[in-house]
Amino acid sequence: MQTNNIYKPIKAQLVKVIEESPEIKTLVLVPEEEFSFKTGEFIELTIDGVGEAPFTPSSSPLDTKQLEVTVMKAGYVTDKMHNMQIGEYMGIRGPYGRGYPLEEFYDKEVLILGGGCGFAPLRSLLYNLKAVSDRIRKVTFCYGSKTPADCIYKPYITELRETPKFEVRRSVDKADDTWTERVGVVTVLLDDVKIDVPNSIAVVCGPPIMMKFGTFKLIEMGYPENKIYLSMEKNMSCGLGKCGHCAMGSFFVCKDGPVFTYEEIKNEPNLWI
Amino acid sequence: MRYYIVAETEWSQHLNRFLSEYELYAPVKNTETESYDYEQITAETIDSIYYNGNTPTTPLKTFYLPIKENVVNIKENQPRIVIGVPNCDLAALNILDNIYLDDDYIDPCYKQNRDNTVIFGKDCYTYKKSCHCTSYSLKPYPQENCDVSMSITDGMIYLCPMSDKGESLLKKHKITDNKSVDTIPETIISKRQDVVNNLQNQNKNLPDEKNTRISIEKSSEELWDKYSDKCVSCGACSFICPTCHCFLLIDKEHFEKVRSVDVCQYPGFARVAAGEDPLHYLNKRFKYRYLCKYCYKPDMFKALACTGCGRCIDACIGKIDKNELILESFK
Ligand code: SF4
Ligand code: SF4
Ligand code: FES
Repeated sequence: MQTNNIYKPIKAQLVKVIEESPEIKTLVLVPEEEFSFKTGEFIELTIDGVGEAPFTPSSSPLDTKQLEVTVMKAGYVTDKMHNMQIGEYMGIRGPYGRGYPLEEFYDKEVLILGGGCGFAPLRSLLYNLKAVSDRIRKVTFCYGSKTPADCIYKPYITELRETPKFEVRRSVDKADDTWTERVGVVTVLLDDVKIDVPNSIAVVCGPPIMMKFGTFKLIEMGYPENKIYLSMEKNMSCGLGKCGHCAMGSFFVCKDGPVFTYEEIKNEPNLWI
Repeated sequence: MRYYIVAETEWSQHLNRFLSEYELYAPVKNTETESYDYEQITAETIDSIYYNGNTPTTPLKTFYLPIKENVVNIKENQPRIVIGVPNCDLAALNILDNIYLDDDYIDPCYKQNRDNTVIFGKDCYTYKKSCHCTSYSLKPYPQENCDVSMSITDGMIYLCPMSDKGESLLKKHKITDNKSVDTIPETIISKRQDVVNNLQNQNKNLPDEKNTRISIEKSSEELWDKYSDKCVSCGACSFICPTCHCFLLIDKEHFEKVRSVDVCQYPGFARVAAGEDPLHYLNKRFKYRYLCKYCYKPDMFKALACTGCGRCIDACIGKIDKNELILESFK
């Protein structure tokens, strides 16, 4: 049970801005009060007097001094976030929801399927998996984006490729001359993946259409429905299971999710919208 | 159960005493429209309280969830008594309390508003054409969730404490020193039964909540197209529903937030940043409200999310009759 007002954000100072692509920036924030989150949980980030928006931090949950939030320009509030100046304060509420159950991943091969901005929450998961890599058999990360310019976190990809037990495969919908990896929708990457499916867990995070076809492909590969973890994007606002905006059938995605197994939600209406 | 008896002629003295400590709200009749709604009562207006109505136009929830409220910079409020609350509104608290007093995240404003309010539930001895509480096994008199239940017959008021809060109010004002009985008088029982019979008769074809659910789940899309065609997305049906709970947070300076009523019937309610909107189309949005009432919320909270108050039927400017739709889906 909370002691503080559930609607009141804590303050966090913007200490650094990383330009990931013309449309995407990562804001590095130092909270004024103690703040930590588990991978997959989300926060509400506020611009004072302007508005707030939900994000799953893209930094490591083990770093409790600062957190990184990757923001894609998508409207009024996120545009303003892109214009925040270093030194300014923002507000953080949370963390909210149910993240990834990491213990379930132990002694397993982890297959992660990501698309577009879905990389942001997945990076936090990847950081965390790296920290516990002695307990994980292998991590295969398949990531798809529209064009090579839309591939974010390039230095991190390089770092990941050099990490033992981690394998990175990428595809773009539309290649240019510099592109040396796969071309096509992200699910094509799964064709070449060698994985011990019965001893594996799959994670999918990205745009709805990619989540849909990704999930179907995983089922085709033999993944049981309760071994596929989906991170659902709904219109999260309060984060507290009250405002109703994130409702998906009889779930409040903000509180019961945002991470669900496919088994838990496969019958819900508008799952892929 | 103990029923303390107060003569109607003495009741205003008690109300006057309540007024020294509480704000008092009770239904008052609008003689022009024949409708009644809660108004704040003063010593001068005590006599205008209308005890024999059914559902006040405004649902009880507005006392706990005002249209707009600053939920960070919380104002203390005056203790208050609300008189004349019908059972459909009391039953609705099962949904609202589950959401706003959820152990994980207690809503501080709702809690304060709820703690500060003493509810006097009342018997409905009249009913509207749209009333259908009995179809969902509710009774048209207080069953739970109120502090005092109030029944009036033959010039006598029977007050039954239903919570510690109600008990201590009656004690403090020495109403518990009055004559009391441990069973409710026959005249009240038979008045109640008359209303039950009439309501059952009025709604004899209306399915119960379980069968409503089944018929909604297997209804055709044409049905929703037909009815939603008349909907203008004004949201009145949700504003006025005692169980609808949705809101929007509006940011104010100094990291304050104002909670403002929001409605799933408004376009964009469920739209995500990337643009997807599961409730984009009117027919989807319109059906969603019925699914929420009869399928989703009952699953989530094991409670009725339509308590049969009939307000959405009375309020719809498109003249959409929820029960007519349900009857058509049930055919
Ligand atoms: S859905 Fe309509 S009849 Fe049912 S409780 Fe809400 S307003 Fe009343
Ligand atoms: S009150 Fe009627 S017109 Fe208004 S949103 Fe509800 S169903 Fe539509
Ligand atoms: S975001 Fe408000 S209920 Fe989920």
